[in-house]
Amino acid sequence: MRVLIVEDDRDLNRQLVSALSDAGYAVDSAFDGEEGHFLGDTEPYDVVILDTGLPKMDGIRVLEQWRRADRNMPVIILTARDRWSDKVAGMDAGADDYVAKPFHMQELLARVRAQVRRASGHARSDIECGPLRLDTKTARVTLNGQPIKLTSHEYRLLAYLMHHNERVVSRSELVEHLYEQDFDRDSNTIEVFIGRLRKKIPPDMIKTIRGLGYRLSIDET
Amino acid sequence: MKPNSLALRLFLTAAAWVLSIMPVAGYIIYARYHHEMVTAFDARISLFLAVVINDAEQGSEEGPTEPDYWGEGLFVQVHSGWYWQMKPLDGKPAEIMQSRSLAGDYLPLPSENDVEPNEKEVRWANLPGPAEQAVRVAEMIYQFGTGKSAQRYSVAVAGRLSEVEDNLAAFRSQLIQALALAGVGLLAATLFQVRFGLFPLTRMERALAAIRSGEASRLEGQLPSEVRPLQQELNALLKSNQEIVERARTHVGNLAHALKTPLAVLLNEASGDDSPLARKVIEQADTMTAQVSLYLDRARMAARIGVIGSVTEVGPVTESLVRALGRLYRDKDLSYTVDCPPGARFKGERQDLEEMLGNLLDNASKWAHSSVSVAVSALPPANGDAAAGGWLHIHVDDDGPGLTADQRAEPIARGRRLDETKPGSGLGHSIVADLAYCYSGKFELDRSETGGLSARLTLPLAV
Repeated sequence: MRVLIVEDDRDLNRQLVSALSDAGYAVDSAFDGEEGHFLGDTEPYDVVILDTGLPKMDGIRVLEQWRRADRNMPVIILTARDRWSDKVAGMDAGADDYVAKPFHMQELLARVRAQVRRASGHARSDIECGPLRLDTKTARVTLNGQPIKLTSHEYRLLAYLMHHNERVVSRSELVEHLYEQDFDRDSNTIEVFIGRLRKKIPPDMIKTIRGLGYRLSIDET
Repeated sequence: MKPNSLALRLFLTAAAWVLSIMPVAGYIIYARYHHEMVTAFDARISLFLAVVINDAEQGSEEGPTEPDYWGEGLFVQVHSGWYWQMKPLDGKPAEIMQSRSLAGDYLPLPSENDVEPNEKEVRWANLPGPAEQAVRVAEMIYQFGTGKSAQRYSVAVAGRLSEVEDNLAAFRSQLIQALALAGVGLLAATLFQVRFGLFPLTRMERALAAIRSGEASRLEGQLPSEVRPLQQELNALLKSNQEIVERARTHVGNLAHALKTPLAVLLNEASGDDSPLARKVIEQADTMTAQVSLYLDRARMAARIGVIGSVTEVGPVTESLVRALGRLYRDKDLSYTVDCPPGARFKGERQDLEEMLGNLLDNASKWAHSSVSVAVSALPPANGDAAAGGWLHIHVDDDGPGLTADQRAEPIARGRRLDETKPGSGLGHSIVADLAYCYSGKFELDRSETGGLSARLTLPLAV
């Protein structure tokens, strides 16, 4: 899952990046409205955390421009302005959620998870797929109730596949959603990680669809 | 009229002038009239004197003859006050001739009282006459005949002095009455003039009171040109005052908001740690957060005075809030029903209505199982009395678990959360109550028809 953070306060930006990375997200960050707008406009993000008081371009305007350009990723507005008039303005601009500063990181993470789940059509905080079970709250995956050890890249890959289970996910989509912008995007690495994952879960669950990509599904055969 | 008032000053100066000018005017008029009266009276006596002498001379060269009976009967009627008398001088034993009105009494003469003659050889004097009547006597020493038969006579004519004095007394009393009436009239006119002239000030006073009570934001109305500069200055002062308040409000807001990001940083930095220092930082940062919110609300609340002139449509505010909340609580798939009569308007600021309704709807959405309803009803002022003001009733109901009667009855204290398990600042209800109170409205909690919570707001209606 790839997250964009647009926040001009360096410390807060760093904290958000670190907290979200720890929670297993691929995180990009921007420090002003223009940069944020550009990233959101060109990269596929699963969630955006957007501050409203940004230099160069106001957060609300950034959001409006994305929505006008049909960029429909979930956006969580992060703002010090917590009056209802501000909230309504944010929601009307196309925000999906609203978090007022100062906030507790746990709450923000919960809101991010909720947006990711909602976008992929899952209503509950844990996603099940056959014997696999993903607890988005704790970022743990269990197989038949037994926790499996995953590196952060493996987790991101499996979590993405589980959010989009029963759907063919192309390699490029995986690259775009799993890695930060400045990551060396060699699609071969995906193959490597798929190979490693197949050793930790029932190997048939991840199917390679030639020329298209991968699909996570419950093995019925 | 209050002491130390402009009206009293104006009235007192006018009254002092009127009261001092009236006697002076009275004196001048009276003196003039007196002079005219006496002159006319003297002219009449002089005329009689001339006629008596002329009549007496008609006889012969031997001496005067008794004048004829002439003149209005005044000189015939006994003790009429009008007399003539001719008294021979030079020791000649002739008899004294006199008018019948004297009835044999002797008319005292100025010459016997050491009165000197004037340039016309006439002596004038006011003397006690017969029958205790004061008379004005004109006396002339006249020589009748020529040569040896020439005889000098003291010819005197007297007029009743009381005739003049009665006239003067009547005039005096009439003059005093007239002047008193004029004075009272002038004072009344002054009073009216002062009242009428200063009425714009009374109007201005009312307009200022309206500003202070928040019904108006500036001094309105066509005031007279003398006070218009004052009006302009006052309005400029009010405007600059509002700007200062607005600026201070913005500064407080900016400060509070500027503090929130560092607070968020502190909170996050500390929450990654479990040391006593980190715990202390979290605790203190939470306190600071609460303080920032508290004073931010206070600043908003304080700035509210003076902006009560605004009017907000309830419908659009409710709809946009419902739209926003529908998005925020999209997962719960709540159904929102809004029942708001078109044109229902709240007498107050849009932001405040948003704040109250937003908090209530947020609470309702948080707790509702499936539906939230907003019902707005407008109660126009009784008897069409616009000054009394009507009320707007807003009910926000949910079908959640609700509160027990005891919980509902508990006072809604600031910062107190009725249930700590749901996220939120916990300030929701108390902000609503504070705001409603600001608008002299009401906020109550009750049980909704579906067993959930029914939050009931009563706010002033804009007619």
